[in-house]
Formats: sequence, C-alpha cells, structure tokens
Amino acid sequence: MNAVDGSDHYEAAVEGPAPSLLVIVLDTNPHAWALLAPTLPLSKAIANILVFINAHLAVNNANQVAVVASHSHRAVWLYPRPPSSSSSEDVEMTIDQPPNLDDANKYRPFALIENSLLASLQELISTTAEKDVASTSTTQMAGALTLALSYINKATVLYSDTTSSSKPATNTMDAPENTTGLQSRILVVSVSGDLAHQYIPIMNTTFAAQRLRIPIDILKLAGDTVFLQQASDTTKGIYMHLRSPQGLLQYLMMAFLPDQMARKHLVAPTQEVVDFRAACFCHRNVVDVGFVCSICLSIFCSPPEGAICLTCSTHLALGDYGAKPAVVPRKKKKKRRVNGGGGDTPSARGTPVPE
Amino acid sequence: MSVSSLASFEYLEGLPGTTFRRLYLQPSTALAIFRRMLPHLAKTFVMAMLYMTKPIPLTDLDLWVHPNSKRQPTEALSLLSRLHIVHITARTRDDPQVVSLTKAFGSSLRLALTGGGDHQSFGVPSSDSTTADVDLNFLDDYAQMQWEGILHFVVSSVGEGMRQGGQGPTAAVKQLLESGNLVTRARHSGGGITQAGFSFLLQEANAQVWTLLLLWIKNAEKMEMDSVDVLSFLFMLGSLELGRAYSTTTLTASQKQMITYLVDFGLVYIPPSTKNQFFPTRLATTLTSDATALRSVAAGFDAAHTNASAMKGFIIIETNYRIYAYTTSPLQIAVLSLFTKLTTRYPNMVSGRITRESIYRAISHGITSDQVISYLSTHAHPQLLKASAAQGGGPVLPPTVVDQIRLWQIENERMKATSGFFFKEFENQKEYDACAKYADEVGVLVWKSDAKRMFFVSRVEQLRDYIKSRKMK
Repeated sequence: MNAVDGSDHYEAAVEGPAPSLLVIVLDTNPHAWALLAPTLPLSKAIANILVFINAHLAVNNANQVAVVASHSHRAVWLYPRPPSSSSSEDVEMTIDQPPNLDDANKYRPFALIENSLLASLQELISTTAEKDVASTSTTQMAGALTLALSYINKATVLYSDTTSSSKPATNTMDAPENTTGLQSRILVVSVSGDLAHQYIPIMNTTFAAQRLRIPIDILKLAGDTVFLQQASDTTKGIYMHLRSPQGLLQYLMMAFLPDQMARKHLVAPTQEVVDFRAACFCHRNVVDVGFVCSICLSIFCSPPEGAICLTCSTHLALGDYGAKPAVVPRKKKKKRRVNGGGGDTPSARGTPVPE
Repeated sequence: MSVSSLASFEYLEGLPGTTFRRLYLQPSTALAIFRRMLPHLAKTFVMAMLYMTKPIPLTDLDLWVHPNSKRQPTEALSLLSRLHIVHITARTRDDPQVVSLTKAFGSSLRLALTGGGDHQSFGVPSSDSTTADVDLNFLDDYAQMQWEGILHFVVSSVGEGMRQGGQGPTAAVKQLLESGNLVTRARHSGGGITQAGFSFLLQEANAQVWTLLLLWIKNAEKMEMDSVDVLSFLFMLGSLELGRAYSTTTLTASQKQMITYLVDFGLVYIPPSTKNQFFPTRLATTLTSDATALRSVAAGFDAAHTNASAMKGFIIIETNYRIYAYTTSPLQIAVLSLFTKLTTRYPNMVSGRITRESIYRAISHGITSDQVISYLSTHAHPQLLKASAAQGGGPVLPPTVVDQIRLWQIENERMKATSGFFFKEFENQKEYDACAKYADEVGVLVWKSDAKRMFFVSRVEQLRDYIKSRKMK
C-alpha cells in the first residue's frame, strides 16, 4: 500500500540528467605559452583539451561545447566559429571537406569539432602580428568571459524554447535548483599571471555568473591571479593550480569533467585559502588595505587627488586618518556585569509554567 | 532513465562475459554503451579512470565521493562490474580492493575519443553520388510511414475496426510481432493483442524501437546469426549522421542480412537505384540517445510533418478526470480508447473521461496503471508541462488522477511478485546487520525483518562475494 500514498511518484517526470553546456576559455597568451613550452607546449595542451571536449560530448548526446580564445589583444571564438568569418557554417557541409572528416574510424561530431577548432586556432595565430604581441603581455580574460556568458545566455534561451515551447526564459535566472534546463559552466584554462588592470570587468562577469548559477572553473597552468581565484570561489567553481602540467588530461578528466549533477555526489577539489584582495581603481594595484569611497564603494590605494572620488566625483573627507586610535580603558563595572550574569534581563527568564 | 534503456539493459546484462569482451572491441559500441546505458555518476567514474595508468584503490574512490551520498556510487560501481566495464579485485587480507577499467572497454573508449585505429566502426560513408531526392524530410516521412504501419498492425488487432487503407508491415515483421507475443493469431477473449503488446503501444517511440530490435536479436540467434555482430551494427547505426549515405560494402554477411529487416522497420532506407548504399533514418540515429535528446527528436519529427501530432504531447487532463486530446491520428485515438471513455470527437480533438470502468477494462486487458500513467505523462500537452514548470518542477499530471488510477488498480490486485533470493539463519545480530546494510547500499534489498533476522534481495552476486569475504576474515 505504501506505493500509493508516497509522494515519490510525483518526481517521475524528471528523466535523465539534463544536458550541459561547457564553455572553455582558453588563454592563448603567447608570452605565457612560450614560458611553458619546455613542460607543456601549446600543441600538446590543445590535444589534451580536444580529448576532454570529446569526453564531455560523449557523456550525453545533447551536451554542447563552445571554445573562446582569450588572446593577447582580443578575445576570439574558436568553436563554434562566428558566422561573419570567411568560412561560414555551410562550408563544412559542401566542397571544402578535408579528407579526414570522412574517416570511418572517428565519430563524426568529434571530427567536426576538432577540425573547426584547429582551423580557427591556426587562423588566430597567423593573424597575430608581432606588434600585437609586443605591445602587451597579458590576456583579454574579461572579454573572453563576457563572450562566454553571452553565449551561455543565448544557448539557454534557445534550449528552453525548443524543449517546452513557451517556458519563460527568465525562469533560469532565479530558479533555485533548476534541474531540467541546460546546465552551463565555464572552464578557464589560464596561463597568464597578473590581470589587475581588468579587475572591474572580471568581477562584473563573476557576479553575473554567480547570479546565473554558472560555476567558473579555473585550471591554472602557470602564473597566479587573485581575481580568478575569487571568481571560482564566488561561483562555487573548482580552482586548481597544476604543479605538474604534463598530467593535464588526467586533471581535466577527473576534476573538471563532472557537471553540476555529478558534483553533488563528489568531493570537489577546492582551494584552501582564497586571496580576497582587491585592486585599486586608480593604479590597478592589488592592495591589502585601501581607501573606500563611502558613496560608490570604489577602492583606492591612496587618497585620490583633492579627496575627490574618481568614479562618482563625490567630495570625500578623510577624517583623522593616520591618527593614533584613542585607547579607552575598560570600565571595571562592565566586566563584573558580564561575569555576574544578567539575572534580571527579561530574556533570561524561563518560560512561564502553569502552576 | 527511460523504459527503453531498462529493457535493452536487462538483455545486455544477461550476456556472458566473452560476448562483452567482443562487443567492446568496437569503439562505437563502447561509446554507445557508455552514453546510453550508464547512469550519470557511473560515467563520471569511467571518465576519471579512463586515462589512469594504475588501478585505483576502492578506498580512494570512496574518499572522492561525498560522504552523504553513499548509495549512488555503490550502485554505479555494481552496475559497471555487471556490464564488465570495470574490474574490481576480490577482497583479500593483504591487498586492498582496487578498481580498473577492463582492458577492452578502456582501449576502445580511448580510441573512440581520440580517433584513429582501423576499426571502421563509425560507418563508412558512401563515396558514390547520392540520390538527389533523399533529404531529411523524405527520410522522416519514410521512417514514420514504416513505423506507424507496424503500430497500426498491433492496434488494429484490438478489433476496433481501425485498420487503415495502407499496406501494413511485411510478413516478416508480422511474424516477428507474433513470435514476440505482441499479438496473437487466436482472436478470442479481448482480441489478438497481448499484454506485452499493450505495454509496447504505450511506450515512447525509442523504447518501441528497442523492444522490437531486442525481439529480433533473440530471433536472430535462432537463425544462427552472431549476436555480437548484430549488436555492434545497431550501436554503429546510433553513431551515424542523419541524411548521409553510407556504404554497405564493408558490412559483414550477417549485417547485410540484417539490413533488409531494418528497412522493414523503417530504421534504414536503401534507395532502389543504388543498392550498395544506405541512409539511416531518425529512428536509427537516435537509438543511443537518451530521454532528453528524444524530446528534440520528437520536435524534429514535428517540424518535418506539421500535420502529425503523433509524436508531440497532445493530452490535457484535468483534476476532474476529463481528458482532452488534440489529435487526429486514429492510432493515438485507438490507444487512448484502451483506457478512457471517449465521448465526443471534434475535427482536431477528442474528449472523454477516465472512469473506474474504463480503467478496469484496461486492467482486464493486462495494462497496468503505471503504463497508463507513463503514457499520459509522456504525451502530456506542453501546457501541462508549462504549468508544472511554473510550480518549480511539480507533477505533470494532476496528483489526484494519478493516485486514483493507482487505487483503482490496487482494488483488484494486492500482491506483487519479485523474484530473488531469501537470506535467513544468520549466526548473530552483527553478521545480519552488516549483510543487510550492505545489501541496502548496493541497492538490491527488497524486504527485511530485523526481528526475525532475515531479508530478501533481488540480486545475489555482490552480496555473495561480500559474505565470502567476511567469512575469510
């Protein structure tokens, strides 16, 4: 009889795990990869990442993947290729097919992605001029993250459109545990160090991701960035700094492949200590202690010129900063009161009992 | 997990280990089994172990799993070992238990992910010029026509006079349906359809395909065809791309023999002009997709046929047991009339009620309440789905109706048989506790009585190993 009353059969509607969308942000900063070349050259890393992508697609038929390159001077889509670029989607269906697409020894969707990804990466590398590389040593992480987020948004809307024709797209925004929609996550393969000059955009994307419940996983091959640590921490993603980058694939398969559904059952590798420091808005220095505008909460490493906030132009008064804090000796009376136990405070009185 | 994977599952689980080893030689099979048959957590485990050089100790795997969810991982592991995907060493005194992927499965899955090798298991595209008129619409039309022909044949044996003017399935298919006990020739007591036939009708399309294919495979063994060959061909079909021509020249003899049957089922289309190429249809390419992907398949079918509401949800059911079905398909109406009292028919919909009598009639035909409920929920109108999504993923069907259908069934039958194994006469309470707890963790425990120190399990292999290892200590 138990089978009847139970509420268990009400959940029967949920079938199978929801498909997941993985957006990989690949840091292609030439400087950093040049440093990393002796241990893990870019080509090898790409090969590993391709296997990882295939593994992700193998998990579920409906799984999707997208790859953004965060290059030294711009962020570029690697897969799917933007329709505006010279080779549009149709090309792969018609004449231009490289011979290995018809290989009977490879699952066709895998081959398609591999081809497209390698081609666009090659295009990216060949169009990178020397002066682009020379002018900067960092990477456009903020731009790439923004691209990733907007793609996820588009895919989510598209998905909820196709499955239940008129399901409101805004539902995904605040639904606490939506298990039916598209599960998206971002994986950042980062090699560059300091990103302090992009502090504000990165934190903005982080909070947007947090609100959309999109975990940002960080795989750090080299360098160290405060803000990516914070990004993964606020979005409940995974942060890993590889001590031996040669084992990239195993790390990817073990730690980064499980999606949100599987992660509920697993102990995720996390960082013990998160660096919560911020960068100042004036010189982009990472600061421990700084000055905060009381109106707009902008952070400064030193009082701004003329004590006018650079962001909101409020005139700020510094007060008596730097003065020694006055030490007020504690009154003895107070101490006794604490020990004596406030017997006569109303809260300490017990509940009235009927007599 | 949907019904279909369960059906194909039970069949696969029954295969001997050597069959598995040969099946896993094909990367496409390894990929399909990985994708289709495994629960989510099991996939995670397989992927984590895929590129490990050494076997991983079971204790390490336990550490990886969240302490609060013990049940799912044990279930996942036991399933993996039943499917011969992982190998768990026996518990001995000196060495800890270690887990590793079986060699055949591991190397095949790695090959599937990286490509390479010379197995040609993902289908050899035909290099001949393709026939121009074979496009997606054509293939969808063809598949649907063939498949509905089979369904009509099954339904029409109910004796409602629903037989369509069309030519119906071929003799071979009819024979198969009969030998699979879906229909019977003898037309007495409730028509020529059997209980298996009813449950077949009430399944979703993908599950129906699998049911029929499994029937066929069992039959094929009698015809002395190699079941491994046949299965790996099916799994290959699942990895092909819709709308492309593939070559038949590389197929083995039994596979070539099989393809003629698949044409009858509507899984494959062979253009009459070129005999050495074939086109997989949507029914074939979604063989190894899972339930969520199938929704989109149904949508794809709908896009292809604006008039065919057969595949999409069309049933609205209200809390007062009234049913409104927006369909014109005689097939769907026939199925609905199996368990509802239809009253009115409009040009684009039929309406009726679920009554105690109508459910009784269905039950006397051998349909279970679960089948009715799952049919209603798989064909629920998008409006119902939307309403349940608005409540944060609540029930799709009105709970009162669902409960009442179950109660109506239970009025008659109060016993449920489960085959399995009975354990009793434990030496002491401790031994009993440990065994019962283990059985529960593995997910095989059906019933237990702590007072009498006995319990009943549905599956015995793992428990047997466990008890053996306890004896050794």
